[in-house]
Amino acid sequence: MSSVNRGSVKKSKGKKAPARMFIFPACVLVIYGILFTINPNKALMALKTSGHLLFTIAQPLVFVFVIMLALNLFVKPAQIVRLFGEGVRIKGIVLSVVAGIISMGPIYAWYPLLKNLREEGAGNGPIAIFLYSRAVKPFLLPVMIAYFGWVYVVILTLLTVFASIAIGCFMSVLMKK
Amino acid sequence: MKIAISSEGTDLKARVGHRFGISPYLIITDLGTGNFEAVQNPGSLGQHGTGVQTIVLAISKDVKAVLTGYCSPTARRHLETNGIEIFTGLSGTVGEVLESYKKGEIKKTETATIEREPGKRVVDRAIFIHAMKRSGNQFASMLPIFLGVVLLIGLLNTFVSRNFLAALFSGNVVLDTFLGAFFGSILAGNAINSYVIGGELLQYGISLFTVTALIITWVTVGLVQLPVEIAALGRKFALLRNGICFLLSIPIAIITVFIVNLVTR
Repeated sequence: MSSVNRGSVKKSKGKKAPARMFIFPACVLVIYGILFTINPNKALMALKTSGHLLFTIAQPLVFVFVIMLALNLFVKPAQIVRLFGEGVRIKGIVLSVVAGIISMGPIYAWYPLLKNLREEGAGNGPIAIFLYSRAVKPFLLPVMIAYFGWVYVVILTLLTVFASIAIGCFMSVLMKK
Repeated sequence: MKIAISSEGTDLKARVGHRFGISPYLIITDLGTGNFEAVQNPGSLGQHGTGVQTIVLAISKDVKAVLTGYCSPTARRHLETNGIEIFTGLSGTVGEVLESYKKGEIKKTETATIEREPGKRVVDRAIFIHAMKRSGNQFASMLPIFLGVVLLIGLLNTFVSRNFLAALFSGNVVLDTFLGAFFGSILAGNAINSYVIGGELLQYGISLFTVTALIITWVTVGLVQLPVEIAALGRKFALLRNGICFLLSIPIAIITVFIVNLVTR
């Protein structure tokens, strides 16, 4: 008996991703170009404001790269996958939260994998927890703290973790109906 | 016991794939039942990160051995770490290789061991370079949109008045938080952009309730990627999850700001 699973990744969509990244900044640059011809003084002022903003964020961005590097060195996608499949008991919940927090990259890259995991028996609860706890981004914490302060970041992070667990429980119950 | 054979096609008559990471299919065979399935190899698409998904696929299918023409040292390291044996240098059809394996005619390829002086280096050079490249790619892929947002904020700061933005929001906590959650749901991209936009909105006098809801829904609710989520996890799951996340973002934003105000008062 044989079966063919072709639904894991769509070829055409993924190929467009790199070009698509530049559409938004290109549009902004076009707006700048137009404004430079209409009102060069104000357009230059806008550019200086952006430059100042970039300078402010530069230092936290260095930390962002360092944390990214650390996660890439010591956390492997294979380890993240292994955190799933423990059901919605306490261990499974904790592992799904941890998997969501340490996972990196665009969500698009994770959907095929999550689909595969569910086909292999991973529950709706852990998947929902994983997707929500991705809102906690360890590598972006320096930028978040620079903008909002550590008190805000700690409180929001804790509430995000609690909310991810609540969503996992909701989804487990509602998907059974 | 299951084994995976890299393949050029979807049946046992297909040729064995030359490279584990990029062969079009993996034929996963259950030696106990004799059943097999052909799974499209994510690595065959040649996109960034899909090679890792091939390894993850093999692990998630509970494969105990990989049979292929060639397997890269990085893939080998990950597979072996997860207890999967690797047999390389194979050619012919998948069926032929499978029969040879069953008869025990294929010998396991030995790993090239890296001699390391005790305590001298925790992370080997190849892994570090790989991690640097990966981090560089992730960082670089974040930059175009991020720079676009920074440039756009410069424009907003210069051309849009504080009064105009303030007029968009009513001053009602629940309504403004709802609006923040709405904008966060329809906007997508790296979370860093939501922090930068949120931080700048605060400068404009927009409330922290609105900004917090925007930050929460930016990652947790995705109207843009909803079709992909439906395709991967089903309509019911995707709609329920996004709906609950949206509704929950409003009380979470309100509670967050309430606690922050209490602590910092």
